[in-house]
Amino acid sequence: MVELVPTLLRQELARLAEDDLRLDGRKQWEGREVTLETDCLYNAEGSAKVVLGDTIVYAGVKFELRTPWPDRPAQGSLMCGAELRPVAHRKYEPGPPSPQSIELGRVVDRGIRESGCIDMESLCIVPGEKVWGVMIDIHVLSDGGNIFDACGLAAIAALRTAIVPAERFDVGEDYTLKVKGTPIMASFTRVGGRYIYDPSEEEELGGDERIHITLGDEGHLHSLQKGLRGVFTPAEFAEIFEVAHHRCTELRTLVANQEGN
Amino acid sequence: MGGYGDVQLLRDDGLRLDGRKIDEMRPVEIEAGVLPAADGSAMVTHGLNVAVAAVYGPMEAHPRKIQRQDRAVIDVRYNMAPFSTSDRIRPGFNRRSREISKVTAEALESVVLVERYPRSKIRVEIEILAAEAGTRCVGLTAAAVALADAGIPMRDLIVGVASGKVEGTVVLDLDKAEDNYGQADLPVGILPNTGEIAFLQMDGDLSPDEFNLAMEYNFKAAAEIHEIMVDALKRRYEGGEN
Repeated sequence: MVELVPTLLRQELARLAEDDLRLDGRKQWEGREVTLETDCLYNAEGSAKVVLGDTIVYAGVKFELRTPWPDRPAQGSLMCGAELRPVAHRKYEPGPPSPQSIELGRVVDRGIRESGCIDMESLCIVPGEKVWGVMIDIHVLSDGGNIFDACGLAAIAALRTAIVPAERFDVGEDYTLKVKGTPIMASFTRVGGRYIYDPSEEEELGGDERIHITLGDEGHLHSLQKGLRGVFTPAEFAEIFEVAHHRCTELRTLVANQEGN
Repeated sequence: MGGYGDVQLLRDDGLRLDGRKIDEMRPVEIEAGVLPAADGSAMVTHGLNVAVAAVYGPMEAHPRKIQRQDRAVIDVRYNMAPFSTSDRIRPGFNRRSREISKVTAEALESVVLVERYPRSKIRVEIEILAAEAGTRCVGLTAAAVALADAGIPMRDLIVGVASGKVEGTVVLDLDKAEDNYGQADLPVGILPNTGEIAFLQMDGDLSPDEFNLAMEYNFKAAAEIHEIMVDALKRRYEGGEN
């Protein structure tokens, strides 16, 4: 099928880019409004809902008791998965996890895991026998563009509110999961030849490659991912890294404020 | 329906564990048009249950073999989120969700004017975000509101409600404990204007009299929920957006 609409859309996006404009009137590095809600799902041990423009995602944290990996007998485990269910958009079909949803889940997983915000040893109950497995499941309910940032934010916000359900599993008293730090992701897509922050669905449809940057509290990089066809220069990266640093700090404050309430 | 015996579900004052009367349903809230990417959508909160439904279409039906020359097919997927229950559910379809999806689709095909859209498909996605007994009913209600929100012509709405039996007493709208330890569950999908039934399941043990009483409760609850559904749809279109 010839992709007629993207072709027309690409022309329009290129034309707008010349005047430094975007389809929805935003500036190049301007994000859409974000709302974050935590503790919003009954039955999840930690949960968050993120609304980013027309994008809506939920994340829920569950715990399981499991035997540790043989090579890491005193460490618990963390797993983060994302589902692009057909509820989220016309373009998503039912079936086994698609490459897109696997990439999404793994990029979010890496950002959280590599930031070291969860001390895996604190998840150990009996070395070699019993440890906690922490599962973060992300459910995309509406794809209005930039689901990566929305998923990353929902995952860490949900994790930061999680209560370890020790009583239910008969291994002591419930306690709040210790999470040091708030890794945050910022995503950029090339649209009309230049990068923009927080792409809308139309910008993704008519755009090229994307770059996802996850930064920790100290501004350190914890995960990078380039997706789709295209190349970029070091100078371009330096520019978006600056923006990412700025944006991640703002979003980290949003998470902290939500917890303060 | 186990009936484990040693769990007391009815208090000595005749009320239920959560303080409800025998024929009182849990609070219900409905919002239409919650998902921007969908053609129609709804979120239903029923007690602690949360269901979201999205509608896409009518669209071309494919694969071709599912096409009907004279009508649209409704493709329903009922899915419980991994974090919706106390023990995590492995993502993906299972036998239970397949069966619920099938009977829900058949119920919706009974109210949607499917003859208007030959050879096409209407996709209905039901996601259960939080489960506390009665999710198939909550999902059905959400699907009906989402279809109406999508502007798809229907003969009537459908309201999903359930009654059951605990400790020998018929009660309306079982909660989690009542569902686990009760003696019967009777979920139905009621067309509120015509009084017809488009969805029916039951398990457990009910005498004919108990069945009639359970149905009576269901119809009473359906009328209440119907008002909330209509109100949600009115609010959606009073706002001026879309």
